[in-house]
Amino acid sequence: MSRPERLTEEEQRSLLARLRAREEAALAELYDRLSPWVLGVAHRILGDADEADEVLSDVFVQVWRRIDQHDASRGPLTPWVLSIARNRSLDVLRRRGRWRRKVALVEAEAKVEGDLDEASVPGWPVHQAVHQALAGLPEEQRRVVLLAYFEGLSHSEIAQRTGDPLGTVKTRLRLAQQKLEESLRYLKDWTA
Amino acid sequence: MSDWLGMAATPRRPRPELKARVLARVYAASRRSLAWPLAAAALLLLGLAGGGVLWRRVTQLQSDLAATRDTLGLLRQPGTRVVAIRVVTQGRPGELTIFADSVSHRWLVTCHNLTPNAPGEAYQLWFVTERGMRTAALMPMDQPNPMVLAFDMPQGAGKVMGMAMSVEPREGSIEPKGPMVFHVDL
Repeated sequence: MSRPERLTEEEQRSLLARLRAREEAALAELYDRLSPWVLGVAHRILGDADEADEVLSDVFVQVWRRIDQHDASRGPLTPWVLSIARNRSLDVLRRRGRWRRKVALVEAEAKVEGDLDEASVPGWPVHQAVHQALAGLPEEQRRVVLLAYFEGLSHSEIAQRTGDPLGTVKTRLRLAQQKLEESLRYLKDWTA
Repeated sequence: MSDWLGMAATPRRPRPELKARVLARVYAASRRSLAWPLAAAALLLLGLAGGGVLWRRVTQLQSDLAATRDTLGLLRQPGTRVVAIRVVTQGRPGELTIFADSVSHRWLVTCHNLTPNAPGEAYQLWFVTERGMRTAALMPMDQPNPMVLAFDMPQGAGKVMGMAMSVEPREGSIEPKGPMVFHVDL
């Protein structure tokens, strides 16, 4: 696998500085780079296009408001934005109740590629790298990771869903996290 | 959980019109968040200005209250003599009332319906004492409004035998030189 190109440190600092300076063009640039991924996370969790659109909007409002809270020393901008997208989506999901969830299994969705020309999406190599890292996990670990991340299930809820003992779920998640962090350590930020 | 897992989701191209809508909402929210502190600052300034006006008003009222209490205190003194003096200033009939307190040696004078002074002039009140005329108060009057003055009787001038009022230059005179409005013995 060829490693994704990184956004240079200087580019990242510059974009952050412009966002913190409330430069509207910087937010538009961030939107161009990240909106497909934010929408992807929201749609994956919610399975509803209208709700995903709302989440997309909420996320960029939050990013604009809270950009000063982003600590670059603790991680790149992309995962920070995606974590906002995930949390916001899970909030919406919890509000409407899981029983209404419009997608059946998150695993199934992972196999579906979107409506995009892949090469045109900024960050596509990172997407591939993450998929590759997930694919490198044993099936049982990958499953608990996806249930935790995209459905926001607690350890005990995963145990209920999979029928595995709670301790086993915790162990699988811990091992999976170690492997993913090892595999994705080199990532700094998305590629253009 | 790894921070990058969100990138595992399949990206989806937002509808083109969504970008303008999202950015407009962000900027509107931003302007609203700016508008509130500005509105709060404006309210604070208004509050401070209003507070300043209120403070001046309270100070004025306190001053008026103190003056009124002082006046009432003087009027209540058993040794206070009241002398009403009818005057005519440029043909206008008016009145002065003197409340002379021999205990506290203070005088209160009220003036009603005096003709306003010509430019550069003022009424000046005089004590008539054993040792001559001593200035009591200078009363420049630009409007025909009632006036109340309280002042102490002169010390070291001997017995106060009367009161007089003359028209003097606005800065006042050491001794009466202008036309006398009244001169009474008490």
